[in-house]
Amino acid sequence: MKIAKNQRVLNNLSKMVLSLLLIGLLSQNSLYGQGEALYKAKCASCHQIEKNGTGPMLKGARQRWMDAGEGDLIVEWVQNNAALRNSGKSKRAAAVYKEYGGSVMQIFADITPDQVNAILDFADAPPVAAPAGGPQGADASDPNAVDAEEEGGISTVWWLLAVLFIVVILSVSGVRRQLKHATEETTPNNSLSYWEEFKILAWKNRAISGVLGLVLTIAILVLVFQRLGSINLMEDYQPSQPIAFPHSQHAGVNGIDCKYCHNSVEKSKSAGLPTVNVCMNCHKQINGKDAAQQEQIAKIYAAAGWDPNIKPAGAYTGKSKPIVWNKVHVLPDHVYFNHSQHVVAGKINCTQCHGDMKQMEETAKVWPVEELNKVEGNIALTKPTLTMGWCIECHGKKEVTIGDGSNAYYDEIHQRLKKNKKLYQQYLNDGKITANELGGWECAKCHY
Amino acid sequence: MKKSLITWIGALSSAAVLMSSCASDPDSPGLEYMPDMYRSPAIEAYVDYGEVRARIDETKKVKLTAMTPPQFSVPYYGKDSALVDMMLPYRRLPNQLMKSTHGFYGERLSAADEYTLASADIKNPVMLNEKVLEDGKKLYASMCQHCHGEKGDGNGPMVTSGAYSGVPNYMEEPRMKLSNGQMFYSIYYGKGMMGAHRSLLNKKEIWTLVHYVRSMQYKDYLTAGMVSDTTQKK
Repeated sequence: MKIAKNQRVLNNLSKMVLSLLLIGLLSQNSLYGQGEALYKAKCASCHQIEKNGTGPMLKGARQRWMDAGEGDLIVEWVQNNAALRNSGKSKRAAAVYKEYGGSVMQIFADITPDQVNAILDFADAPPVAAPAGGPQGADASDPNAVDAEEEGGISTVWWLLAVLFIVVILSVSGVRRQLKHATEETTPNNSLSYWEEFKILAWKNRAISGVLGLVLTIAILVLVFQRLGSINLMEDYQPSQPIAFPHSQHAGVNGIDCKYCHNSVEKSKSAGLPTVNVCMNCHKQINGKDAAQQEQIAKIYAAAGWDPNIKPAGAYTGKSKPIVWNKVHVLPDHVYFNHSQHVVAGKINCTQCHGDMKQMEETAKVWPVEELNKVEGNIALTKPTLTMGWCIECHGKKEVTIGDGSNAYYDEIHQRLKKNKKLYQQYLNDGKITANELGGWECAKCHY
Repeated sequence: MKKSLITWIGALSSAAVLMSSCASDPDSPGLEYMPDMYRSPAIEAYVDYGEVRARIDETKKVKLTAMTPPQFSVPYYGKDSALVDMMLPYRRLPNQLMKSTHGFYGERLSAADEYTLASADIKNPVMLNEKVLEDGKKLYASMCQHCHGEKGDGNGPMVTSGAYSGVPNYMEEPRMKLSNGQMFYSIYYGKGMMGAHRSLLNKKEIWTLVHYVRSMQYKDYLTAGMVSDTTQKK
């Protein structure tokens, strides 16, 4: 909840910054505004302002033409670059064409010299980018890190104390025993070992030691079974990942649909991890606002074989290498789970099992069931995430729409269900069909 | 006596060491009941075969299980000849520039400007009907909308959040006059800053999207029937 609060504050802040910027923009002269509008409408798909893209960056473009001694030709170039190139009167035109490997610029015959100048004015003095997003990650992760450290420190201190106390108790009792033996010279039990003395003591107080023994046995049994029961419980499991991928930025702020990156979710058993070319669809342009982001995005570039330093605007080198992600949701081979079946036929939202990733600033984790229950629209469950009890519970609660002709397999099941009197009566009583009534509780549906 | 005390301390400290070694590895999902039933002997997608039964094989850790199909292989799409025809390998090739701009290594490239040539491909092989536009809308929402915007005006959340710039507006003259084939080519191989989307969408889905984009550009696209060449319609 702390994170949500932080985000709200940040959102408000960024809104304020945006509105300030807007006011600033409005107060500028109209020609500047026209330049911006024109730039966005006509140039932005190929030219960025401060970075070479498909075409060269526009900032300083006029200066570069002036440096080449052809400052007055840039208007002609923008209006009809092919004509200028073919006329042979401009060296700069030929050079730019060659530098960008012969990719052809569109012809803008309808643009006036004033408009060209307005665009170039805008390009030379673009608005200052809002410093958003930078401290977000650091702010949220810092307190957690401190917490974890403190916890670790405390537990080791306790262990050390425990060892110390045991040593002290044993040595004191040893000294006490020696003293006792020294004073009671007449006792015949002088040669008794610790174990024999303990047995005598236990026999003397057999009522107490019996009860203690019973309690100890039960406690050990309970602990053992608890430990056995927690084997393979993976709630909160969050392995480290090679790239610090913030889901909140991609799916949240930038509004990218889950299916864009996990694009086999409707077609295949596995939802799919995006291949690097999918990352590069955006990251060819986006290379990070600060050093921390740039470091992470450089890893994508290394994987994709993209070198942003190749002139003019970066290029693929053909030397790629795979990114080794750590698997988060591990299901054993003896249970069959199919994403497409659940998402397409079952119409289950991603959030039901994976939580609200739009809020999550890190890569991914196995969401505990309590957190999943808080997500709006989720069916509330009680058993731990990714256990069989959890699956079965949901199969007993999730209502299924069948018989609407959208899925032939479920239509067939629908026909058969109508003949099952018991189920049909139950349907008449509660008015709903759940996954288990279609056979979602049969062993062989998932284990085969 | 002294000896036994030392033994005790030794036993206790070794127990402490054992306990602390039980502290879980953050990158391991923990104990498994039946390890031999956890990993399929057949290769499954996204399973780490670098560690099987505690034996670590570094070379297998970076082996891809998700592979691209062999070059020139044709997937099976049933017996509907129109569908099979649509799904056959795309006859237009990426041009030579795209090797370094879009990373098309180890592919057949064309010396000609195939994008311009694609303007001759005016026929959309997917039959237009309401269902196609519905499918197109769903595909558009998950595949295009974050950049190109819900209305196709190039103002998706990627752009409005300030993360990305330079997304064209579909509703403007040059884009409205594009032929169906050029739209397909741009989605399939990418264009400008946009990367290739052929790994995300099959050819039928791309043609469906082309229909949907047309329906955004021309309000009467559906009712005007199968108008494949919108340049004539304008």
